[in-house]
Amino acid sequence: MNTKPSSRTYTAGALGLALFLWGAAAWAHHSISGKFDTKAAKVDLSGVITSVDWRNPHAHIFMNVTNRGETLNWAVELESPSLLEMDGWNRDTLRPGETIVVKGPRARDGSRQVWGEEVRYASNQLPVFAPKVKLSHTPAVPRPTPTWPDGHPALGALPGTADGFWTDPSKTALVEDGVNVAMDPYGVLENLADAAKVAPMQPWALELYRYRQSRQLRDDPAYVNCKPPGGVRQYQSRLGIQFIEDRERKRIFVMMGSGNHNYRIIYLDGRKQVGLVGGDDDNPLYFGRSAGRWEGKTLVVDLVDFNEDFWFTQGGLPHTDKLHLIERFTRTDFDTLRYEVQVDDPGAYTRNWSASWTLKWNGGAALPSYFCQNNRP
Amino acid sequence: MTRLPLVLLALAVAVPIIAQEGHPLKGSWIGVWDSNTQHGNDLLMVLNWDGKTVTGIINPGTDNIKPDRVTLDPVGWKVHIEADAKDKQGAAIRYVIDAAIQQLEMTNRVMVGTWKSQRGSGKFEMRRQ
Repeated sequence: MNTKPSSRTYTAGALGLALFLWGAAAWAHHSISGKFDTKAAKVDLSGVITSVDWRNPHAHIFMNVTNRGETLNWAVELESPSLLEMDGWNRDTLRPGETIVVKGPRARDGSRQVWGEEVRYASNQLPVFAPKVKLSHTPAVPRPTPTWPDGHPALGALPGTADGFWTDPSKTALVEDGVNVAMDPYGVLENLADAAKVAPMQPWALELYRYRQSRQLRDDPAYVNCKPPGGVRQYQSRLGIQFIEDRERKRIFVMMGSGNHNYRIIYLDGRKQVGLVGGDDDNPLYFGRSAGRWEGKTLVVDLVDFNEDFWFTQGGLPHTDKLHLIERFTRTDFDTLRYEVQVDDPGAYTRNWSASWTLKWNGGAALPSYFCQNNRP
Repeated sequence: MTRLPLVLLALAVAVPIIAQEGHPLKGSWIGVWDSNTQHGNDLLMVLNWDGKTVTGIINPGTDNIKPDRVTLDPVGWKVHIEADAKDKQGAAIRYVIDAAIQQLEMTNRVMVGTWKSQRGSGKFEMRRQ
């Protein structure tokens, strides 16, 4: 493959970029598996970078790939800049003129777009981008859970200590505890026949779930319409969450790295889960209405009043406005948060069911700032 | 009845499409039951899902026809609606609608099929608002 780009290849690159941006509206923002065929054979590309587009919701590298004398410009799509930065990459890591090797699934529509699962320097084959890097600072021996003077565990950083946030969820889609089904990180089932095992769905909900799955989640409003990560979604993203405990006013702010600076408030002051008269009393919410209480070392949160304008989990399980969640947060040690949720939605499910997973503490790091843009791929 | 087209027009202009990712039938639907000489061509239907049954009303504010049976067969997304009403002479008629939901993934999905009663039959088509 080429190592030195000519003016002709730059022209091809510019043309490719222009065509890509012109066609972006057709794809808009999307789920990864909806746009890229993650189950098909992966594409191997080697070529010269023509530009780097470091913007939300997904960064892109454009590269000229020469094959049998023909040079074509490809778009390599990557995670959001926030996630790339968590993996140690920044906007200056790669520059036009460098030669890279890329491997990943190609766009379903056959266009010259590839999801950059692996990006390596051509010169030494070292990875530029290594997704899902495990947090290196998690100690082998668990550190004790930090507590407030009254003995309650601190869900975030105690005053005067290093800040941090919760990330690396051990599960990234909602599945009933005890059920073992294979899914990709975005919640797409490896085998659609497993759909009925995921949760005890009513017939309409099961068929709707199958339909969404069969379309590889490409209709997910979290991407298509930038809907907030309500329900349990905020706990399923590597972009993480952060708890800000306002103990004086008995409320906990849950800040979300995965929303457009979205947050929700857990009230611990005993107030009723109703809206404000003349305000939002008849307006169900993306994040519901939260009432929390401590049960020993566990924060228990009761959540009602969800709207139906979003998917409450990755993977496309349906819900209705009857959704009632009971969340349990337990900081089992300094670096581990156990999240348990009971799903009670008689509008979509035949019985109550539960799921649980853990998140890891990323100490000393700021909560990422992710912005969805539904007019960009 | 004469106000219904104006009501439909006002709704079409004024009501933004509300995303609805829950039960596929829930919401406000606007469309036509073609060649309906008793209740006009234009149709407004508001449907709700209580977890067990679909309830609703046809042409609220004008005809106020309440379906007593609305079913959704998720295999093929087939919809069946039955409702008692009165014709222009005040005689009892029963509407039977059979349709299927198309473009399920869209907020403004459509229902296409047929309607019939003792006073006629025709094409039925509604789009969710």
